Amino acid sequence: MSEKELLKGNIAIARSALAAGCSCYFGYPITPQTEIGEFLSYEMPKRKLAYVCAESEIGAINMALGASATGAKVMVSSSSCAVSLMQEALSYIASDELPVVLVNVMRAGPGQGHIYPSQGDYNQAVIGGGNGDYKTIVLAPSSVQECVDMTFRAFYLSQKYRNPVILLLDGMLGQMAEPAIIKDNPYPETDNSSWVLNGANQRPAREIRSLEPNQNKLIRHIYEMNKKYKALEANETDWEEYQTQDADFILTAFGTMARSAKAVCNYYREKGIKCGLFRPKTLYPFPFERLRELTKTTKKFIDIEMNMGQMLRDVRLSILSNVQISFIGKPVGDWLSESEMIGAIDNIIKDCYANI
Amino acid sequence: MQTSEIKYTVPKSIKKDTVFTFCPGCDHGVALRLVAEVLDELNLREKSVAIASSGCSVLLYDFLDVDCIESPHGRACAVATGVKRAHKANGSDKFVFTYQGDGDFASIGLGESLHSALRGENITAICINNTNYGMTGGQMGPTSAMGQITTTSPTGRNKEYHGFPIKTAEHIALCDGVSYSARVALYDIKNIINAKKTIKKAFEYQLEGLGFSFIEILSSCPTNWKLSPSEAHKKIENELTKTYPIKVFKDIKETPNV
Repeated sequence: MSEKELLKGNIAIARSALAAGCSCYFGYPITPQTEIGEFLSYEMPKRKLAYVCAESEIGAINMALGASATGAKVMVSSSSCAVSLMQEALSYIASDELPVVLVNVMRAGPGQGHIYPSQGDYNQAVIGGGNGDYKTIVLAPSSVQECVDMTFRAFYLSQKYRNPVILLLDGMLGQMAEPAIIKDNPYPETDNSSWVLNGANQRPAREIRSLEPNQNKLIRHIYEMNKKYKALEANETDWEEYQTQDADFILTAFGTMARSAKAVCNYYREKGIKCGLFRPKTLYPFPFERLRELTKTTKKFIDIEMNMGQMLRDVRLSILSNVQISFIGKPVGDWLSESEMIGAIDNIIKDCYANI
Repeated sequence: MQTSEIKYTVPKSIKKDTVFTFCPGCDHGVALRLVAEVLDELNLREKSVAIASSGCSVLLYDFLDVDCIESPHGRACAVATGVKRAHKANGSDKFVFTYQGDGDFASIGLGESLHSALRGENITAICINNTNYGMTGGQMGPTSAMGQITTTSPTGRNKEYHGFPIKTAEHIALCDGVSYSARVALYDIKNIINAKKTIKKAFEYQLEGLGFSFIEILSSCPTNWKLSPSEAHKKIENELTKTYPIKVFKDIKETPNV
């Protein structure tokens, strides 16, 4: 460990999960995330850890629900249309306050779509695809190194807040290899001895349930969950800023699209045009406050996504009314190249700059 | 003359001062008491994790004094798989069982149930078969018998319109991963005693690590059947046991897998 290696995103996630202490993995094949399950099917039995080729994604996520109730670090991985199958259990896991890490290596949709990379599941991950008042922590890596770092962080946050965490990346990042380092787990272990199910020995029996016929108790439970979300929003919101201080206009993008957007930023800076980049690293909690602060000095924002404008909604919610917001997006796979982005941005900003 | 005192004792595995909230004449109370007695006799209370699912069976955690987790409707065997495997990965062996209804186990959850059986998960599943969806008011279930009148088969189940009921214990017995599959009933003392023996055997098979063990308990639902408790038991004895015979369908110790 701790050596720089050429790593594929999916493999980096699988290896980091093991390094983070993941002892249970449940999965079902779907492109473009299958390497995670394949790698772990080889590594986990060797270490006498739990690995099950589940009968379906519904089976996999419910196995994760059961395993996490024992206090184990549990991971499930899947992709888009199959993550849809997991939404029922995800709502239960959130209500039960169980720590499960779910990796969604996004492919194109809606429906079966295809295996092209996409960022089309922002809404499902961030707003939530299951029923009821709950939130899922969503981390969005934009490089293989961040796949490593955020896998560690996903396990830590899920245990600390007893909440499901989604690692949301597109198929390109899952399939792409670049240098990265897998270090030791930088986070402390969380004490879960007060709630795990391991037999009512020398203590009263415990129950983990979402069904609550007592209306007042149910209301209290939802208020308590909401307090947790407020703490998350106050303490765990994370983002990257690139040359935003003096920017005349700021690009907003997450995941791999933010990498192209950064190159676009450099292109404009070389031409003397003040472009900045704002990249949320946590999609929930979303960095609303910081983005709102930036709108005091910058009056033009351009949101770039590999979908038809899903994070755009959160960008709009962040921003004061006297600010112009534009959107550049392509729905699937057909990668938005730097030159395409530049062409589109030139159109948006041409009234302000004579030299374009 | 000596008089003997009849003393009613509550199993340790049933919560103190529990009042069963099931409908009058429902067999859930008897089934849960048998489970609790067996847990006591095998000293399993302290090492058990029970999985409750949706329907009347979910009330399990109100009555049993063991660690419990609730599963989404039908997914109890998948949740049990996770609990059992995670403890095993952690180097500890826990006793894990599910308590489900027939709609839960054999309709919405058939995939999870059947594949847990095929994988030979070392867990025990108990399926209360009352031939309808009880909690929602008696709709036709996967186990409703031919001709049975329910709120969604008002003229009786017929093959043209509704198809046929599933014989769960027989199906589960076909899976190689299964150590034990049996159907029992609770309509008289003899059957109750047999049911307890069967539950005990299924639990012991898990303790011996023999794989998936399964008990289908034919139970009454007087409220939704619109019968008195004794009429409901007679219906099981005289009618339902023809569709659902009381029998051991697989015992790996008697007939090993080929």
